[in-house]
Amino acid sequence: MSEMSEMSGQTIVPASGIPGQTAAALPSARPLVEITDLRMYFPITQGILISRHVGDVRAVDGISLSIQRGETVGLVGESGCGKSTVGRTILRLYRPTSGRIVFDGQDITTAEGASLRAVRRGMQMIFQDPYASLDPRMTAAGIVSEPLEIHEVGVKSERHQRVRDLLATVGLDPSYGDRFPHEFSGGQRQRIGVARALALHPDLIVADEPISALDVSIQAQIINLLERLQSEFGLTYLFIAHDLSVVRHISDRIAVMYLGRIVETAGSRELYERPLHPYAVALLSAVPIPDPLVEGRRRRIILSGDVPSPSNPPSGCHFHTRCWLRERLGNPDRCVAEDPALRALSAGHQVACHFAEEVDGSAEQVQVTGRSPGAGGVAAAPVLATPTAPAGPPPRPRDRG
Amino acid sequence: MHLLSINDLIVRFRTHDGTVYAVNGVSFDLDEGETIGLVGESGCGKSVTNLAVMRLLPRPAGRIDGGEVVFEGQDLLTLDESEMRDLRGKEIAMIFQDPMTSLNPVLTIQEQMVETIQAHRRVSKSEARVRTLELLGMVGIPQPEARLKNFPHQFSGGMRQRVMIAMALALEPKLLIADEPTTALDVTIQAQVLELLSRLAAEHGTAVILITHDLGVVAGMTQRIYVMYAGYVVEAAVTRDLFARPRHPYTVGLLHSIPRLDAQPGEPLIPIEGAPPDLRHAPVGCQFAPRCAWRQDRCWQEMPPLDLVDPNRDFVATGPQATHRAACWNQPTPEEAVAARPLRSGFEPAPPPAEAGS
Repeated sequence: MSEMSEMSGQTIVPASGIPGQTAAALPSARPLVEITDLRMYFPITQGILISRHVGDVRAVDGISLSIQRGETVGLVGESGCGKSTVGRTILRLYRPTSGRIVFDGQDITTAEGASLRAVRRGMQMIFQDPYASLDPRMTAAGIVSEPLEIHEVGVKSERHQRVRDLLATVGLDPSYGDRFPHEFSGGQRQRIGVARALALHPDLIVADEPISALDVSIQAQIINLLERLQSEFGLTYLFIAHDLSVVRHISDRIAVMYLGRIVETAGSRELYERPLHPYAVALLSAVPIPDPLVEGRRRRIILSGDVPSPSNPPSGCHFHTRCWLRERLGNPDRCVAEDPALRALSAGHQVACHFAEEVDGSAEQVQVTGRSPGAGGVAAAPVLATPTAPAGPPPRPRDRG
Repeated sequence: MHLLSINDLIVRFRTHDGTVYAVNGVSFDLDEGETIGLVGESGCGKSVTNLAVMRLLPRPAGRIDGGEVVFEGQDLLTLDESEMRDLRGKEIAMIFQDPMTSLNPVLTIQEQMVETIQAHRRVSKSEARVRTLELLGMVGIPQPEARLKNFPHQFSGGMRQRVMIAMALALEPKLLIADEPTTALDVTIQAQVLELLSRLAAEHGTAVILITHDLGVVAGMTQRIYVMYAGYVVEAAVTRDLFARPRHPYTVGLLHSIPRLDAQPGEPLIPIEGAPPDLRHAPVGCQFAPRCAWRQDRCWQEMPPLDLVDPNRDFVATGPQATHRAACWNQPTPEEAVAARPLRSGFEPAPPPAEAGS
């Protein structure tokens, strides 16, 4: 297949350019996780007695990513883009089709049995659905202590104490340990899931949409909890979510995925201020901002159509069928013919688009001036963000006059 | 006269666990062509309110215990079932969060849409089919001719929601109730559907009640917003006013607890501690009091009325001049709304009363 050859060089530069990132300040530190040209194909079979292999769902189609110790990397994309599969493959819940996964210096691509179990102590997962991810017949304490039992950590009394400590750490009353999952609210259940993930002192936590099943007023509690735990225990997060606002809030670096590939990766602030991939630009412009003043001024790029099927992705750049930039440039053939490699346009900012130089992401984006003062105007400066001379035209809600 | 006016609506559910106090006296008005937002978390009563408007509450558990729902001068709660059936779809249409479960999986799109049209209009099958084609084209389904014979499962989520919108608008209703219409969709698809919805509503002059938990969605779509909590409307205002000068501690909390895409780096999230109340307990006092940093002693005892924020103004129910109202005894000042906490020196949230026992 010719497209295989195109996918080399998708390596993400370590987060050297991110200010305020203590872990990344050590240049010699080797990344905690390094995945290289990872592919995860799920076979499609047909037939009842003799199943024939008729194709593949290319959930992850050649991505490379490295995660530094202590860093939070956000993985965003729409449903079906393969972001969850990346997380699960890193944890070796799947055996990758090809590529390499190195965790803490150890190649775990094909690890099995006891050695895989040993590696897994260092990596844990927090799931999306706090209802489905807890066994309804186990108590909270039983759920949290299960990883300790599996890995035979300590004696029973020590485990008991550890569970109480863990519950307190995540903000639950240790005496609730005897209760069953249905006796907790959604936010409390997610705290139990977090406590379980922390039980074995992991280095890496893969959080797969950890807050999207929670109510709005509870989401911030869990985000703040995850941030506090990170600074307390020096955790490394791979934060997988579809909600760009949340990912931007919690991540140091963000990788945007589309149909099994990383199309752009940058520091989270840089990505928001200067997105370079047409898909990232459209994705950012589609996120509603809870402020009518900002909303009234925004330009929204409405992508046409749906995401194509990952079992039969478009040739060349996977995004070319929906790309607004390609249309603007007169539909160049290069997008159809040639896979764009991930290339660095500035330090720590990589994009997989032939025409990324033509994207003026900042012009497509919001002008962040004159926010509604009541709406979270807790800027660092104590002075109220008084809209003295509002730039641009006067804000006009998109009403019908 | 308003297009729709809900007055003091009370809805209860009788369950094995006791009575659920789902809606506890909700009032709001809506004019023709207006788009309003009903915002709140799951269980705040926003969907139940609208199911009550449509008289679609699950029976026998759900019961309207009081109030009136006046649509074009007529109290819908006094209509009999056949009159109500006439009205549904034709005058008031509804689209739901999950388009898969609201479409019939064993009927083609053509069959369902023709059925809807013929149920209310005396037209031939072929006329209804022509109308169906026109509607599918209007909502941007590519090659509508070819898709007519498709079943719902052959459509993607976004396309299904487009079909739902086409069906809802088939009879040109005066009011469209959209209950979390984009929650199940991806962001880029959400943007498509919202754009379509607001364009069509404007073209047809349809009034829209947009029910959502997402303050971002209502910010760009609505003219006015009602914030609901535990079965009460706690704040009502013109959209810009609500975001610029939130006056209820819950609204303030919501605005500070969601990360914003355009936030300054390092801007902290200020969560609302605790969890929403159990609606199986009869409401006493302000339902938000246990989570509120501004609470006073009386908040534990008396539910504050939804009153004018500025008492010097006259009350205007709808339109761009609608007055800002909040149900709070101790409203946050503008500075406190920005800081998301009380700034008065020495102020402490009142502890729960002893006899309530907690």
